[in-house]
Amino acid sequence: MAWHDQDSWLTAAFAPKLSTIVVTLLLTLLLPILLHHFIYRRATPTTLPTFLLLGPSGAGKTALLTLAERNQVAATRTSTSPLAVEALLPEGFTPASSHYRSPGDPTFERSRCFLLVDTPGHGKLRHFATAQLADLSNVRGIVFVVDAAAVAEEAGLNEAAGYLHDVLLTLQKRYTGAKTSKGPKEIPVLVAANKEDLFTALPQHLARLELEKAISRIRKSKATGLKDSGVAMGGEEDAMEDEREWLGEGGEGPFEFQQMEEVGTSVTVLGGNVLGSEGSDVKGWFEWIAEHL
Amino acid sequence: MLDTFEILTTSGVVLWSRSYAPVSSNIINSLIRDVFIEERIQPQSGDAGQKPTYRKETYTLKWTTAKDLGLIFVAVYQSLVHLTWIDKLLDNVRALFVGLYGEQLKKEHTSKLDCSNFAPYFERQIQDLEGSSDSATSNVKLTPPSSTDNDSADEKSLKPPALRKQQHQLYDTSADSTPVPTPETSRPTTPAQHHLITGKGRPGAKLSRRDRKKASAASTQPSSGDETSAKRKAKGSAKKNRVWGEFGAEEEDSSVVLDYSQSDIRDEGSATEALEEIKQETWGRKTGKGEFVLKDIDEEMDQIIAAENAKKQSSTASGGIVGSSLGAIGGLFRNVVGGKTLTKEDLAKPLKGMEDHLLKKNVAREAVVRLCESVERDLVGLKTNSFTTIDSTLRTSMEKALTKILTPTSSLDLLREIQTVNATGRPYVISIVGVNGVGKSTNLSKIAFFLLQNHHRVLVAAADTFRSGAVEQLGVHVRNLKELSKREGGEVDLFEKGYGKDAANIAADAVAHASKNGFNVVLIDTAGRRHNDQRLMSSLTKFGKLAKPDKILMVAEALVGTDSVAQARNFNASFGPGRGLDGFVISKCDTVGDMIGTIVSMVHATGVPVVFLGVGQHYADLRGLNVSSVCRLLMS
Repeated sequence: MAWHDQDSWLTAAFAPKLSTIVVTLLLTLLLPILLHHFIYRRATPTTLPTFLLLGPSGAGKTALLTLAERNQVAATRTSTSPLAVEALLPEGFTPASSHYRSPGDPTFERSRCFLLVDTPGHGKLRHFATAQLADLSNVRGIVFVVDAAAVAEEAGLNEAAGYLHDVLLTLQKRYTGAKTSKGPKEIPVLVAANKEDLFTALPQHLARLELEKAISRIRKSKATGLKDSGVAMGGEEDAMEDEREWLGEGGEGPFEFQQMEEVGTSVTVLGGNVLGSEGSDVKGWFEWIAEHL
Repeated sequence: MLDTFEILTTSGVVLWSRSYAPVSSNIINSLIRDVFIEERIQPQSGDAGQKPTYRKETYTLKWTTAKDLGLIFVAVYQSLVHLTWIDKLLDNVRALFVGLYGEQLKKEHTSKLDCSNFAPYFERQIQDLEGSSDSATSNVKLTPPSSTDNDSADEKSLKPPALRKQQHQLYDTSADSTPVPTPETSRPTTPAQHHLITGKGRPGAKLSRRDRKKASAASTQPSSGDETSAKRKAKGSAKKNRVWGEFGAEEEDSSVVLDYSQSDIRDEGSATEALEEIKQETWGRKTGKGEFVLKDIDEEMDQIIAAENAKKQSSTASGGIVGSSLGAIGGLFRNVVGGKTLTKEDLAKPLKGMEDHLLKKNVAREAVVRLCESVERDLVGLKTNSFTTIDSTLRTSMEKALTKILTPTSSLDLLREIQTVNATGRPYVISIVGVNGVGKSTNLSKIAFFLLQNHHRVLVAAADTFRSGAVEQLGVHVRNLKELSKREGGEVDLFEKGYGKDAANIAADAVAHASKNGFNVVLIDTAGRRHNDQRLMSSLTKFGKLAKPDKILMVAEALVGTDSVAQARNFNASFGPGRGLDGFVISKCDTVGDMIGTIVSMVHATGVPVVFLGVGQHYADLRGLNVSSVCRLLMS
């Protein structure tokens, strides 16, 4: 039976039969509906804007995360695995992206949603954070939580500054190593000086100064320190090892957070406290998040 | 007595906790740090039934985990108290919690979990187990010690509480209208029964269903008439219809259940039967007396635990012949495609291969076993990702384990530490120890060269007063270094007192000399000693006390094999309590190619980080450790 026969399917499809009309009608009516569903199903799981929580162990990252999620702080312990949580910006904060949106707009609610990713801060578990830093496509900002009371002491300051140095260096490398001339998206960093309610805590401007000083020291000792074993032991990144990794602008001057703006990273230091006898004071941090949402 | 019980996630959020006495949060934090992260304390794997313990300050901690859900269950109690039932409690609570909230926990992007109604379950468990342990002693007296016939012993010991129970029931019916005493008085009876069931010292896994049946039978016997037993039957049939997959629905009931005893009584007082009748079919068992309701929680609990245990058993033991053959084909398929839940058997073969691979890389057997165990713990019960084979999953997991073991806990920036110590006005003292001929003096001069490049004033102290030529050898090094550092601005000198003197005294003198003459850093060379020679090793204690080194580095050669673990352990312990090594220098790394397993063995044995690697013959051939490159070499 060839296609040009009397009762071939092609002839039937063009013939004024009832079945043909019904099929055509169904097709024309249902196809848009199906298409609509297909497309909208696909569009709904949009990736939320992400904020990354970094910082040394015991700074209060997980506590801040629970505060952002449920508006009250849960008891926390040392984390050993990362955690991503969908959080809503609290009432009274307007995301910068929906500044001109009316509060009645249904999309307003959605624009206040963001994903908060917690990473373990223990020295041996930093690889979770490194993995997160390697892919920053959805990340709108990094919240680096430090314990303002621990920063007042040498050991705590060194740990926090060392970690912050590494994070900033990764961001700088990302900027300088970009392939396109436009450069990658800017990623702001908030240094959240937590536990300001404690008596021994450094106020935010002092914490900033101390961190800057410590980072300049680290930068210097890193430059004069030993090379990594990677070169000598048959590693292939000889070329990369050659250029010394130097955070901020060159020269012997002290490191300042402002220097990071040149490489697309603005650093803000804000104090606050997640826990405390008079409740938590995290307004500044949420304002910062709102500003970058 | 139990001090605290906590249920927390691996991401650090406490889901549920009950504390009877305040326990500082750093107790549990240190458990997580020492056991889960740094793996400093190895859980004793000797007896399978016992849960590992961890001691901190005056507390003893026991824990168990639910790997797939990322939960940790921790019980904290005073070390003075000996609690035998903690293991059982942990197991039961884990089964209960997973059974009740397992579905909720699988939700992504949230840390919230509403488990406020878990408290009654927990309280019941505690009461049951405490009751059982209290009477366990008396139980032993009752039963003949050699008797294996549990049932006869059961019958005997069941009688007295059954009698008591009858009395209580009489009391209950009389006091029915007064709601307050009923729950209180009925409480001691139920655990009293239960202890006879659980506290028989049987292995925990196989209790439950049979025992429970027995218990319920025993409890119904005395309770007076036919109507109650009829009710029981009705209840039994209602039970069978239940689907235990839907725990969400169950847990909503349970909160009601507790209040129900009281509201029930109130209802009886006001005699509103209309509502009761509607719910009769589903809630029939709950319309009885107060204790029926209470027993229900027990049974529900037991059922959940039994269901969880059964699930575990069924997952470990595969089904029938058809099931197993189908499973084998499916397993093969999934092995390629991924999405396979890993079991111990699946991992055994690839792990063996991995073990051999690491042994070939000169990692000590002990360290290999530990690594493989940690990988196995990490992977068993895990589902492989799609399109990954077991081997590749194992590889990434092993890489992670290696990274974890090699990454130092704190920063190893020597220059910064020197700066900090010098700021307090005293010189920074580094002493070098090690076995004979591993390159102590050579590495000392390398470190000296590195410090000189950073414009430090270095004093080299020759505390090797034993081997002939040792002082002269250092003299040659110092002379060379002087030449090399003339232009750089550093300054180096030798401090020597000849041969035969006491090394500890020379070291102390050198430190005094350095602080008088304004040296920044003192490097003390010591005599090489065999690590299993007590006489030689004991002098290190005195040395550590007199010289007070800020950093004690041990030099080990990369060539050493299995002995590395013993070397590291003995040297780490030789400085007396409270003082150990601060770091390793692994020398002769250039001579072994990619067989650098010694690095892992040393760190495994002591938890002390590797600070330097010696990679050549020149003064400049000293490197820091690059964890990722070492991992790559080991895995290649």
